[in-house]
Parts: sequence; structure tokens; C-alpha cells
Amino acid sequence: MFDYNDLNLKIGLEIHQQLSNKKLFCNCSTKFQEKNLDSEFSRKLRAVAGEQGYVDVAAAFEEAKHREFVYHGYKDEYCLVDCDDDPPHEINQDALLTALSVAKLFKMNAPDEIQVMRKIIADGSACSSFQRTMLIGLGTKDSFIETTQGNVRITSLCLEEDACKIEKVHDNRIHYSLSRQGIPLLEIRTEPDIKTPEQAKEAAEQIGLLLRSFSSILRGIGTIRQDVNLSIKNGNRIEIKGFQELRMMPKTIDFEISRQINIIKQGKNVEKEVRKANDNGTTSFLRPLPGAARMYPDTDIKTISVNKELLNEVKIPELITDKIIKLQKKHNLSHELASQIIKENIDFEGYASKFKKIYSGLLATLLINYSKDKKGHLEFVLQNLNSGRITKDVIDSVMMNLRMNKKVNLEQFKSVNYSEIENEIQELIKKKPELSTNAVMGILMGKYRGRVDGKKLIEIINKLSTK
Amino acid sequence: MKNFSAKAGDLVEISTDNEVFSGTLIPSVNHDILVLKLDSGYNLGIKKNKIKKFRLIKKFSQERPEKQNIVHNKNLPTISILHTGGTLASRVSYETGAVSARFTPEELLAMFPGLKEIANFRNKLVREMFSDDLRFKHFSILAREIEREIKNKVHGIIIGMGTDNLAVAASALSFVLESCPVPVILVGSQRSSDRGSSDAYLNLLSASLFITKTDFSGVAICMHENLNDKTCLILPACKTRKLHTSRRDAFKVVNDKPIARINYEMNQIEFLKKNYGKRNGRLAIKDKFEEKVGLIKITINMNAKQFLSYKGYKGLIIEGTGLGHTPLDVIDKETKEHAKIKKVLQVLSKNTVLVMTSQCLFGRVNMNVYSKGRELQELGVISGKDMLPETAFVKLSWLLGNYPKQVKELIGKNLRGEINENLTKEFLE
Repeated sequence: MFDYNDLNLKIGLEIHQQLSNKKLFCNCSTKFQEKNLDSEFSRKLRAVAGEQGYVDVAAAFEEAKHREFVYHGYKDEYCLVDCDDDPPHEINQDALLTALSVAKLFKMNAPDEIQVMRKIIADGSACSSFQRTMLIGLGTKDSFIETTQGNVRITSLCLEEDACKIEKVHDNRIHYSLSRQGIPLLEIRTEPDIKTPEQAKEAAEQIGLLLRSFSSILRGIGTIRQDVNLSIKNGNRIEIKGFQELRMMPKTIDFEISRQINIIKQGKNVEKEVRKANDNGTTSFLRPLPGAARMYPDTDIKTISVNKELLNEVKIPELITDKIIKLQKKHNLSHELASQIIKENIDFEGYASKFKKIYSGLLATLLINYSKDKKGHLEFVLQNLNSGRITKDVIDSVMMNLRMNKKVNLEQFKSVNYSEIENEIQELIKKKPELSTNAVMGILMGKYRGRVDGKKLIEIINKLSTK
Repeated sequence: MKNFSAKAGDLVEISTDNEVFSGTLIPSVNHDILVLKLDSGYNLGIKKNKIKKFRLIKKFSQERPEKQNIVHNKNLPTISILHTGGTLASRVSYETGAVSARFTPEELLAMFPGLKEIANFRNKLVREMFSDDLRFKHFSILAREIEREIKNKVHGIIIGMGTDNLAVAASALSFVLESCPVPVILVGSQRSSDRGSSDAYLNLLSASLFITKTDFSGVAICMHENLNDKTCLILPACKTRKLHTSRRDAFKVVNDKPIARINYEMNQIEFLKKNYGKRNGRLAIKDKFEEKVGLIKITINMNAKQFLSYKGYKGLIIEGTGLGHTPLDVIDKETKEHAKIKKVLQVLSKNTVLVMTSQCLFGRVNMNVYSKGRELQELGVISGKDMLPETAFVKLSWLLGNYPKQVKELIGKNLRGEINENLTKEFLE
């Protein structure tokens, strides 16, 4: 579409991954249901001395002055820490260890002492007006991921608190949910080494996949978020946030490039800004790009010494990429199947040892295709397939019946002896020689629907009718 | 590397075996660790013994706060703020991360710009201390400062203080200022003012509004009513207690009602109590306190020695259980110690004024209901009625200091709103 090289396209990524179990500085769960509203309170945010002279921060607070922020607390999903009415508790040790492990995986340098910082946010999305964040790893020359289009260096890894989710805006009242606030969030930044939109997607996928090796990451919609920073020749730095689906990333980047080219062609300047990724691949203006973050140490939290005892606990789990290759080799699966099995967290080994007679390729396909069906239904099918009571050709039909809660009569799906069918066809052709191949096919399919392989049937009919 | 010639705030570059970092030098608590603030804003701690090379890039030049010219507004009254420390007015340096207190009028108005619409402000830093470090003498120091400010014809006084003992200080000051022609409002903040979400702003604005817009005089407290940044309450000095370690609405009235509610944004003040001190009269200060006064909290399994440690004291507040009880009965061989406690109380009461309060906080002491209470009365223990234990503590010390001959008569008499003879059900709801 474009000559990215000629455009001097530069892309860097920011990957945000939520961690599970409990929030970073309190005991609230990271389960995120927002069902039972427990309380609601409103706050104002004001500029703090020291912010004068920092135009961007001051401006943000100036705007906040006219706003009222309303916070919604859902049962078990918030506490006084989230309300900014209790100092932070001890850091979530699991989250810290996971972050240090990820830093180790990317061969990053961890500080000898970690200091929790307050990053100022004036839009109300942090009840306290700041987000707690800490630097866990700095990239070294060995910190990079490989993509088919070259290496992408990793700049840094931070562990921070997620911010509130916006619920609604009513004039000057902005409503936030406290449930997401405080969930541990890993932030991985790359250098702007990415040169094409496809490479951006590949790099994001790779990082996401590597992160899935860690047991404490949260899975599901919204648990991983990718921001794209991009610039082209004569353009300016644009940050795109909020991709709903990774596969839209290349299209969105291309749209953004066209947008910038159009602006440049008109002789105008591309403004530095944050844009939102829309579902159709376009982007829309969100806000101007903020200046350098204003940070200062969180005086409520002691510094964390990254000493030998802590480092001894830092372990890199078996990587998902290694698991895929291992499974692929052991069961002679395609890479595609093996990676789907692993990504969907399917207990392939368990099924394989239970249903030894089903060959692994088929088993893997079935486990993936029917992963969303009831486990009982799947087991029923696999058992009968394993014992030879049904053939693979009828699985779809059996499954369909099970899904509709129909009683399944296996007799109906009994595997068919093709030599018997051959005799039947021979009889039929003898009796009614005027019948076309299709007509014979029709009669037989009526009788053996779902139990015979259509292709094989045609072969037999053709063979017998040419005789 | 052992010696680093650079100072906090300097831009430096340091090299270890494998890496080179540059950033601003930050003061470090840990002597083995050097802290750099990187370009990204993050602080990075590096072990000093790893550092191989060190280079100064740029010396720190002190950031000067913008000088605001304060214009005295003739149409507005003047309020004086006496600072004693606490988190009411602090400022953060993004270069070094240091949080420092701000006390000049310029600095204060820069922090709380809304104030200049309400009044002119005079500021004085009296002490920079935690309220935990208060001694009786500090109330005398504060009283003299208040006297000076009243002579300067200020319309009212705000005392900024750490919240831990803010309520105790309020009740002590209300005894010290036997008569006070202006409002003296104690203001604190539960979330330090170095964050945008601090409660300091609303507390200070509300107190200022209350001082300028009403005829109230005397000592009171102004803090958040609830978790909303909407309303503040004016709370009675002797009937308020910090009942939560961290919430912004930690201060609650016990056995009484708040005096007034302030909605700063709506410019509304609603009095919740009809009887309150009005502006009139002159200043009368009584600032003596008896040093030898104590407060003992009753627990199970106490021993006589704990009580005996107050021998030689002039007064002792007992924070008893329920209606006002202590361990006293010997019912088996395990409770023999209680006979000794009884004996010690008998001895103490000869030279020490013993006053009973309740750790229930809500409700009134009544030592007539159980025989144990009656026995305590016989031993010489006086009922502190519904007084908060801490209020009773400062009152007893103040009475011993200023009215030594009338202590037993005055302790149960309401002098500053510390005793409420009409407890109604609304107080614990």
C-alpha cells in the first residue's frame, strides 16, 4: 500500500498487561464484574504547589477544576485504598515477582532499589490524582524480540496500577468505576524499531504470547492493551490507543498514515496527539499528547531492595513458544494446531492419554473446534470415537444433536460397512439403471446421512456405474 | 567509587561495568544506594559499589517559585493562619521529590488560590511538629500567638495542625481560652496537600468561609463531613474524636451534634446547633496545666502495679469499661490481684483526683447501676459523665492548674460544652 521505507515509518509499542489475583497495593480482587454497586462519592481535583511552571500538568488541573468526578465502588472490587482514604498497603509480592521475571525474560537490568513513583493524572481516572508506578527493568543490548522483519528492542518494563474505567459523562460530572483501579499492570515499551504495520502486529502478538507464559497474567477482553506510537517523514508523533482487536492494527496504522499524508499534502502540520482506534480501522482525536510525565516518589511506600533473596525467587516459567514446539514434536502436530491448543490452554496431554485411539491431529482439531461446547458432550463424542462406535464423519451431526439437547441414538450414527453399501449400490443400479449418479447419491445420503463420507460414496457409485 | 562530588539535583552520568545511566541525583535514604531520576521520571536505585565512573553534567540551579504579588483587599476581612505542622501545606519538588512545608502568604495563596476571594491572610509558622509531640506548654504558646493576632485585629484564626491530636488540642485550647472574641478553627488534612486529591483545600476554604460569614466565636474544628469533596463540618472542640486512622471524614462528634455544615461551592452555611458562642467580649487566657495527670485504660488481666505507677500524680483519668468499671472483684484464686487493685485505688484517691470515663465513648458513665460502680465511688472515683477520655484528661490537668481548689466541684460541671446533659438517640446513628 505504501512504501514504508520511503515514508520513514517508525513505530514503537506500549503493551499493557493486567496481572491477576489481587490489586497492587490492597487486598481487593482483580475480578472485574461491576455488578453490585456498593457506594458512590464525588471528588474534586486541584493543582498542587510545585506544578506551577509545568504547563501541561497545570493546564490539566485547570480543566479538572470545573469538573466533578464521581466514583462508583462495586462490592468486593474496591476498598478505602481505591477511594484515596487509606494509604497503600504492602506491595502485592506476586505481581512484583512476575514483573521481575518478565524483566529477566527480556534480559533487562533491574534496579538495585525500586522506588514507587506517583505519576500525576488530572483527568480523574485515578482517584488520588496519581497513578503509582515503578521501574522494574531497563533494556540492555540483549533486550529484544525477533520478528520476521527484524529485531525490536525492548526499552523498559514498569509495574503500575491500572486506572479507573470511565462509565459515563454528564456535562461536568464524570463517572468512573473503581473496580479496575489498582489492578497490577505491566507496561512494556519498545524502541521505535518497527518499520511496517504488519511488523507492529507481529511484535505485539509476540510480546503478548510471551507474557501468556506467566501464570499470573489476567486473560480475557481488556486484560491486554496495546498502544502504538508512530511517526512518518514530515509528520509528527501520534499515539493510538484502544485497539479492540490486534488484527485491526495494520489497517489502523495504514489509515493513520493516509491521514497524515493528506495533512502534509495540504501543507499543514500534523499535531502531536493521542488518537483512539475505532472499530473500522479509522482513528479519532482523543487529546493532545501529554508532555513528559510528572513523577515524584510515593512517600507512603518504602523503597524495595532488589536483593539476592528476592532475585532467588524470580523464575522464568516454561515459555509458551517452547511449549508449542514441544507439543508439536511430541504428537506430530502442525504448528498451527499446537499453538492453538497451547494458547487456548487445552489439556491436550490429558485427552491424548485418555483417548489413545484417536490420532493426535484429529483429537487436536476436535478439542479446538468444540472447545466452547459442554465438556460432557465433548467427552461423550470422544469416548465413542475412541471405542469405534462412531466415525469422525458423524461427529458434527452427533454434536449438533447434543447441542439441541436431543437424545442421541448411537445406532443411528453407527459406522457403516462400505462393502455392504457397495452391494446395496450394485443392487440399486441393477434394478434402476436409468438413475443418474446424483439420484443414487441422493437416495443413499437420505439413508446414511451423517454416517458416510460423501466423497467416498461418489467414488463407489462412479466405480460401479462405469462397470 | 566512594566519593561523589555531586549534590542532589545535579545532572550526572554514571557508568557501571555494563551500562551507562544519566539522570538527576536524588537524595537517598539508603547510604549504599545512589538514586537517579531518569528522563522518564522514574527513580532508579543503583548500588554505589557497582559504579565505576561518575561524571557531573550540569549543576542544579534552584527552582524559584513564581512570586505572586499579594494585593491587600480592603473590602475583605483578615484571617490569621498559625501553622504547627502537619500535612495542611506541603509542596513537592519534582526535581528531587522532596516534600516541604509552605508557610508564606505567597506560597499559601499559590497553593490555595480560592482563598484570596474570601479574605486576606496572615501566616505564621509557630512550630513544625507532629501533633503527637505536643506538650501542655504548646497550648500556652498558641494562646499567646492568638492573643497577638487578636490585637492585630484579625477577624478569626485558623490553626493548621497534624490530625492525630488535633481534637485533643482543640479541647485543650477551648479551656485555655476562657473567653474568646473571635473564632479559632483548627484545620487538618488526612491526605497530604502534595496531591491533587487532598482534603486540605476544601477544609481550609470552608473554615475561612465560616470565619468570615458567621457570628461564631470560640474554638472549633473544621474537617470533611464524609467521603465527598462537598461539605465540611464545624465540630465542637470538646466533643470530637478522630475515629478513623485515614479517612478524610475521620473526625466525628461523640455525644453531641456538629455545629454547622459548610458547602463551599454553593457558598452555603447551615447551623445545626442553635446555642454556640457568639462574637463578643474580650480575650481571657488561663493557660496553666498540671503536669502530673495521667490516663489509664482498663483491660482484663490488669495488675495493681499499673495503677501504682500513678502514685504521686495529682489527677488520673480512668478509661473504664461500659458504664465505668474496673477489675475489682475477687471471685476465685485467679482474681486475687483485684484485691490489690482495690487497695491501690484506695491509697491513690487520698492525693489523686480519680475521674471515670468510658472506653465506649458514646453514652454516659453511670456508677450507680452495678455494685462495682458504687464501690468505685466509695473509693473516691468521680464520674466524668459523658466526657471523652482525652477531653477529661486535659480538663482535669487544666482545672488542677488553674482552679486547684474547685477541681472536684468543676470536673463534672459543663464549662466548654464538654458535658452534655441531654443525650438523645441521634448521636449514634
